[in-house]
Amino acid sequence: MSAVYLNTLSENASRLGMRIQESLAEHSRELTIKTSSSLYLEPDDKGKNIRKQLDSSSDREKLDAMKRLVALISKGRNVSEYFAQVVKNVASQNLEIRKLVYIYLLRYAEQEPDLALLSINTFQKDLTDSSPLIRAMALRVLSGIKVPMIGSIVVLAIKKCAADMSPYVRKSAALAIPKCYELDASHLPALIGIISTLLRDRSPLSIGSVAVAFEAVCPTRLDMLHQQYRRLCRILVDVDEWGQIDLLNLLLRYARTMLPRPVQEEIDSDVKFLLTSAEPLFQSRNPAVVLAVTRVFYYAGPPSYHSRMVQPLIRLLHTSKEIERVVVAYVLAVSRSAPNLFSPFYPQFLLRTDDLRQVKQDKIKVLLVLANFDTHQAILREFIDCADDPDDEVVSDAIRAIGKCAHSIPDCTQQCLTALITMIKNHRDAVVSSAVMVLKYLVQSQLSASSSSSFAAVAATPQQSPLTIISHLARRIDDIRHAQARACVLWLVGQYSASNEPSSGPQGVVEWAPDVLRKSAKGFASEPPMVKLQIITLATKLLVLCPSDRTLCLISGYVFSLAKYDLNYDVRDRARMLLGLLSGLGLSEAVGAKDPDQDSRGGVILRREQVRLVLFEGKIGVVDAEEELDLNVALGSLGMITHKPMHGDSSLPDWLERGVESSLRDTEDDAPPPPPPMTFSSSAPLPQRSKGLASPVVLTPSGGSPTGASKPQWTDLDKFYEDEDDEEEEDSESEEEDEQVAEVEAEESAEGSEDDEDSDSSDEHNSSHPGHR
Amino acid sequence: MAIDGLIILDTTGRPIIQSGFRSTSPAYPLLHVDAFNNAMPKSHRPGDIDPVIYVPPYNVADSPSACCHVECGDMRILCPMSGDVDPLFGFAFLQTFIDILHEYFGALSAATLKDNFDVVYQLLEETLDSGGHPLTTSPNTLRDIVLPPSLLSKLLSVAGANINSTINSGSGLGSAGGPFSSPIPWRKAGLRYNSNEVYFDMVEELKAIVNKHGTTLTSSVWGKIETNAKLSGTPDCLLTFTNPHVITDCAFHPCVRLQRWKRDSSLSFVPPDGHFTLAEYRFTPSASATSARFMSAGASVAPSAKENVPIPFILKPAVELTESGGTFEFKLTSRMAFEALVVEMYLGEGAGGVKCVATRGDGNGNIGRRGDVVTSGSASGSWTFDARKMVVRWEIPVVPLSSTWTLRGSFTSSGSKSHPAHALQVRFAASSYTFSSLKVDQLKVTGEVYKPYKGVRGRAIGSVEWRW
Repeated sequence: MSAVYLNTLSENASRLGMRIQESLAEHSRELTIKTSSSLYLEPDDKGKNIRKQLDSSSDREKLDAMKRLVALISKGRNVSEYFAQVVKNVASQNLEIRKLVYIYLLRYAEQEPDLALLSINTFQKDLTDSSPLIRAMALRVLSGIKVPMIGSIVVLAIKKCAADMSPYVRKSAALAIPKCYELDASHLPALIGIISTLLRDRSPLSIGSVAVAFEAVCPTRLDMLHQQYRRLCRILVDVDEWGQIDLLNLLLRYARTMLPRPVQEEIDSDVKFLLTSAEPLFQSRNPAVVLAVTRVFYYAGPPSYHSRMVQPLIRLLHTSKEIERVVVAYVLAVSRSAPNLFSPFYPQFLLRTDDLRQVKQDKIKVLLVLANFDTHQAILREFIDCADDPDDEVVSDAIRAIGKCAHSIPDCTQQCLTALITMIKNHRDAVVSSAVMVLKYLVQSQLSASSSSSFAAVAATPQQSPLTIISHLARRIDDIRHAQARACVLWLVGQYSASNEPSSGPQGVVEWAPDVLRKSAKGFASEPPMVKLQIITLATKLLVLCPSDRTLCLISGYVFSLAKYDLNYDVRDRARMLLGLLSGLGLSEAVGAKDPDQDSRGGVILRREQVRLVLFEGKIGVVDAEEELDLNVALGSLGMITHKPMHGDSSLPDWLERGVESSLRDTEDDAPPPPPPMTFSSSAPLPQRSKGLASPVVLTPSGGSPTGASKPQWTDLDKFYEDEDDEEEEDSESEEEDEQVAEVEAEESAEGSEDDEDSDSSDEHNSSHPGHR
Repeated sequence: MAIDGLIILDTTGRPIIQSGFRSTSPAYPLLHVDAFNNAMPKSHRPGDIDPVIYVPPYNVADSPSACCHVECGDMRILCPMSGDVDPLFGFAFLQTFIDILHEYFGALSAATLKDNFDVVYQLLEETLDSGGHPLTTSPNTLRDIVLPPSLLSKLLSVAGANINSTINSGSGLGSAGGPFSSPIPWRKAGLRYNSNEVYFDMVEELKAIVNKHGTTLTSSVWGKIETNAKLSGTPDCLLTFTNPHVITDCAFHPCVRLQRWKRDSSLSFVPPDGHFTLAEYRFTPSASATSARFMSAGASVAPSAKENVPIPFILKPAVELTESGGTFEFKLTSRMAFEALVVEMYLGEGAGGVKCVATRGDGNGNIGRRGDVVTSGSASGSWTFDARKMVVRWEIPVVPLSSTWTLRGSFTSSGSKSHPAHALQVRFAASSYTFSSLKVDQLKVTGEVYKPYKGVRGRAIGSVEWRW
């Protein structure tokens, strides 16, 4: 080994020497050192000499030219015209030039397929290079050239690399498979063959990419996974973080397709094994991995397992603003189906003023879902605080949430009403209008369900019964300036102004209603159309209730005559319609709006009771304005965040009732392992033994993770660095293994055991050291 | 899971660097740049922009996509994605890529990246497959493949001899180093240091919300163990704590053996070389109070939600709002020593004419004048008004224990649509302090003969929202 090393070293040294000599001779006249590459990004580079530079014999010139080309690419220029010159440099000895050439080729190979073919020989040669980096790069570029003609060459190259010694190259091979498939789907059988070879790969490094290839090329061939399922679960912890995500998604899909549905708490041993293997990954630093594990628990775990995903999701909330934005939306989706999971943690969802708007709005929704008997006090206070937010949209969301709170938790209805009525006195448009809309919604829903218990609780306190609220609103009509809110109050007053109690005002009408009409009639001309419509409706309703009152007739007459000549045709139309309705009451004279040709027109004239029915019962039913459309998308997909259907959002398949035969998944790997290492507790879960038997897997969180107790594999790093206890195990390994790496391992562990005893304690290093800045 | 590509925008919203895109439509990246640049001015407050922007399809045949983006120095990095992808995947990759850029170039700015655009392109090529799948993201391995910019490499490249070619293109197989020769994916092989050192920085952040009556609504402490390892060979470290039960909800660097942590709450790992975050955790005050001896994150015993960490200061805000502005007075009393205390309040759109007096205790301060950014004060604390963000900022560089500080002032606001935030944002830092008082018991290094130099340091930062 050391001889080889020495050889290389001397070879490199001599090469360096030669190169320096050469170039010094060549460039001795140029003494300026370019200190930064930004010069390449200067706007006036027209690419004049690039062609000449690329053809020059000096590496330096070529490198310069390639940098200029890449700079032009990043400026968005099309530089495909240099393709021929660039391809010639693909075999350059200089790695940096070669890399830049690769970058260029990957972008333009598609446009110049014929010229790209020129480079294929070089890549094929590179596939046998001694450096895994070169081999992998060659394959990456080769598979990136989108020329259908070379499809079979690419398949051969992938096959070769799939059997490569280096897991990194095998990884590139796996990633090349989907590209080859896209290029020419006729190679499918060969590619599936390669995938099934790669699936058996013992190294956890490449398995994530194999999962990618599997999903892209043959997603329906889950039967290929039967034999690998348990092993894949076992190596999950050792896979790199990006691979873990793809592998978890694949295993989840396998479980949902092939394994029996968990009924209550009785779950299949293989489902349990997946959950046990995935659980340690909740501690990954990568938020996407944590979410992939959450998906597994949410979609494959029985309800008792769901509580375990709560804390990890809450941890993600504190990672960064962007991640918080996404995770809050997921929490909302989860808590809608299981509100009790997150309700003890509601303080984590209190709003901060510096949160993003989207986060604030989602947090309000989450809090609303979490509000229950125990938490509603605090959550309601939070909503009331949110009504002071600088952002109007957040304010209206918060106030709407108060209304929903009042609706869903009868205990706090009183408190909500008090808060809402206080808000009406606010100076802020957004607050007042939202509060009025919510009050309307509450009053309506309570009056319509006045026999229900939620109303009874409120009615017990007379000063806050729905009618008192309306009268309260009616008295404050001058303070309510927001158009929509004003219109809403006017409608409420009209709708609920019928009264049988004797009062000082007109008969049959509540005391405060006529005054509202008087006040609003005064400013009729300056009101927006929306309010005008409601004023004439109010006038009509009052007239129907009390046709005999002289003052009411006069005010209404005034309002109608204004409305008849209004600029807005909606107002004119409404006035005409209402007058038509009123014609049966014999009031047309009094109102002063007699239609000259009414008699000639004929038609049906309604009696007073009928008019009343039309006016008051015409619009019934409480409509909650915004009901979010449920896209039914899965957790962890783009559609859940954008709230729009994204093409390609796939839903998970439903469970099988029985699942496929469990013995299909039995392999020799599952044979009883050698006695577990001493370091592990006896409660460590043992891997699956044989079919049908009661599962020996113990799901104790304190036990070792499944990898720990599994049969030793040469790539398992935990095992690799395990103390010397493991040595006897290593001896007992009898499987065929990659000799090279086994050799490395033996070396390393021998080295490790030498120094094992050299463990020094350092109790004092807690104090800050002077050398540590 | 795959993203579509990566676009780096400069301050003006123009792309400086972009990766290759797997989409066939050349308009695709442009659509995303446009979508971002359109959304930016519409934001309600500067920076308040949805991190996931929906991008409608360009034509009927296309599918809709989304643009995830993060801020990075003075730049924005966009990550377009489409189909059935988790946005967290995009954000996780963006974070990883930004960490790599930090590792290579230090402080990041558009100018730095323009200076080194060829290195950035090489990094993109190595970290992101053309299909949008992350490839090599471990900084240790990357350093073997893409050479960090240094004066030496520039000199050599001027001399025409590229150091890469001497390292890599030769027949340097296996033992001599070179890419992918290390058996551990996150650690470089064959490292040699003259002095072996390892440092642990425990950084804890207090996040809290206090209501107008001074009651803490929620508070939690999130900690990180930032590590800088300069160790030769393949050291196997074992870090133990005297009180591991005070931390929970942990997340670890991939090098940490999870089952070892589960078993006896010690961190056993072969560290990567250089800077990395070993672990992240949450401090559980209740665990130290009750005798819950051992609580691993996996055990997920739902702890009581009411475990609050005390806020180390008291703030008494008094604000009065009128039709055309308002006056305010903030009184702050510290319960421990801080550095760099910053109190901020958003005054709402159209605010201006800010006049303040910052004093320490009862002493007199200076009065600033009107203007866009007005500054006043010295040792008594200073204040500024940021006219872009509409934020009045009160800064006190050093706050001794139990000292009192006051900021008195007034502002005017034009337009009825301005609404100041009903909360103050308080940020502070305190060195050599941790909320959890998590203590390292010892660090054992096995597998190598040397005894490394070890250092542990604590640091606390806080971010408290105080409502009024």
